[in-house]
Amino acid sequence: MNRDEDISGLQRVILNERSRLLRFLAARGLADEAEDALHDLWQRVAAAPSQPIADPLSYLFRAAENLVRDRRRSTVSRDRRHHDWHETSVPGEEQPTGERALIARERLREVQSTLAALGPRVELVFRKCRLDGLGQVAIARELGVSLSSVEKDLQKAYRALAQLRAKFDAE
Amino acid sequence: MAMSAQDLELREAARSWAIRVQETAFDDWDGFTSWLERDPSHLPAYEAALADEAWAVELLSSAPAVPAPEVQPRRRWWVAGSAAAAAAVAVIGGWAVLDRDAPAQQIATVPGEHRTIDLADGTRLALNGSTRVTIDPDTPRQVVLERGEARFEVRHDASDPFVVLSGGTRLVDAGTIFNVVQDGDTIEVGVAEGAVIYQPGTGEVRLAPGDTLRRSGKDAKPVLGRANPQTIGSWASGELQYDEPSLDEVARDLTRSLGRPVRTTRGAERISFTGTLMLRGTPEEVLARAEPLLGVKFTANGEGWTMSPAHGPPR
Repeated sequence: MNRDEDISGLQRVILNERSRLLRFLAARGLADEAEDALHDLWQRVAAAPSQPIADPLSYLFRAAENLVRDRRRSTVSRDRRHHDWHETSVPGEEQPTGERALIARERLREVQSTLAALGPRVELVFRKCRLDGLGQVAIARELGVSLSSVEKDLQKAYRALAQLRAKFDAE
Repeated sequence: MAMSAQDLELREAARSWAIRVQETAFDDWDGFTSWLERDPSHLPAYEAALADEAWAVELLSSAPAVPAPEVQPRRRWWVAGSAAAAAAVAVIGGWAVLDRDAPAQQIATVPGEHRTIDLADGTRLALNGSTRVTIDPDTPRQVVLERGEARFEVRHDASDPFVVLSGGTRLVDAGTIFNVVQDGDTIEVGVAEGAVIYQPGTGEVRLAPGDTLRRSGKDAKPVLGRANPQTIGSWASGELQYDEPSLDEVARDLTRSLGRPVRTTRGAERISFTGTLMLRGTPEEVLARAEPLLGVKFTANGEGWTMSPAHGPPR
C-alpha cells in the first residue's frame, strides 16, 4: 500500500488487526464485501487527523460498525427510492395524505404514552440517550445510578417500542 | 403468529447488544462478533433491533418538543456553567456522541452551559452558552449554527469539506480549528489553526490562523481583523484568553460563560491586558479575579453586572 512513513498510526493498527476486523465485517453481514469495506475503512482513517486516540482498536471497530450502517442505509434508501417511484406510478393504492397524517399523529401519541407508562426514569433515560444524544455513562452519572441500570432502562424502552411497532405492523 | 420463548430470548439479546454497542465506551467487539457468528438468526435480529429503535426515534423527533420529565431538581446553571466548562475537558463520558442513524436534531445550550459534541467523522463541536445548532446525520459534514457561539475542531477531508452555515453564510473548512459567533445578523469568525473559506465562490475570503472576520449585517461588507490565534475559541477549555481586547468582547464572553448579562458602558475601549481569565468557580469568584487583571470594576445591577474601567468616571 503506502510507504511506511505515510501510514498513520490507525492504519498500522488496521494492518496488525486485519483478520479481527475482517471477521467482524463478515459477521456483520458483509461476508462478500469484507475486503472492500476494510479498504473503505483504510481510506476513512487516512483522512483522520493525528490526534491521540485512547483505544485505537475500539475506535476502528466503531468506525467499521458505522461503515456497515452507512452501507445498509444507502441500500435501503436506494430501494425506497425505487419503491416510491413505483408507488407514485400506481396512485390508486395510496392512502389520502390527510388520513396518513392522522395515522402518524395517532401513532406518535401511542409511542409517547407507551414511553410514559414505563415510568419517568425510563422515559428520561431513553430521551436523553436517543433524542439528546447523551452517552449512557454520562446519563448514569447525572442521575446517580449505575451504568447497568441505565442499560436496563433502555432495554425496557426498546422492548416496549418493538412490541408497539409489531402491533402497528399487524394492523 | 405466536412468538416462541426462544424467539423472545433472541430479541432480548439482540436489543441488549444494540444498546451496549451504541455506548461510546463499548469495547467488547470480539464478544459481539462471536455472538453474531454463533447463529445465522443473530444478525437479522440485531438489524431488527436497530430498525425498531430508529423507527421510534424518527417518530418521536417529529413531535413538537415536550419538556423531559423531571427526576431530580434542575442544576443551578450559574454555578454549573463554569463547572461544566472544566468538565467538558476532563470528563470523556460527558461528551455527547451523535449516532449517524439518528434523524436531524437541534441541540441547544442554556445560558452559562458548555457542551461538547463529537460527530461521527471525528469533528468536535464545543457549544458556548445560549447556542443552538442543527445537525442532520444525512449531511454529516454540515452543521447549521442557528445562534450563539461554537468552536469547531474539524476532521479535515479535502474531498468532502466541512461546511458551517451561519446567518445565511457558508463557511468551508480547509483543515481547521475555528470559532463562529452568530448574534442576530452579525457573524464573527476566527481561525485558530488551518484555514476557513468564507462564502466560497466569487468574492470568497480565505482566512488563515489569527485572521478574524466580522460581518455586522446580512448585506454588510465583511471586515477583516487580526487576533492572537491562541485566544480564538479559548472559552471552550474553561478559560478566556485575551490579547488587548475591547470591553465589548470581554462583556460578551463573560455573558455567555457566566450565563448572566454583563454590560459595559464604554464598549469600544480597549484594555491593555494580555493573558488568561479562568472560568472556574462562581460568577462572583470569576469576576473578583478578573477585576485587577482587566483593570475594571463590576457592579451588580439586578440580574447581572455592569463593567466599567476602574479609572473611569462612574456611570
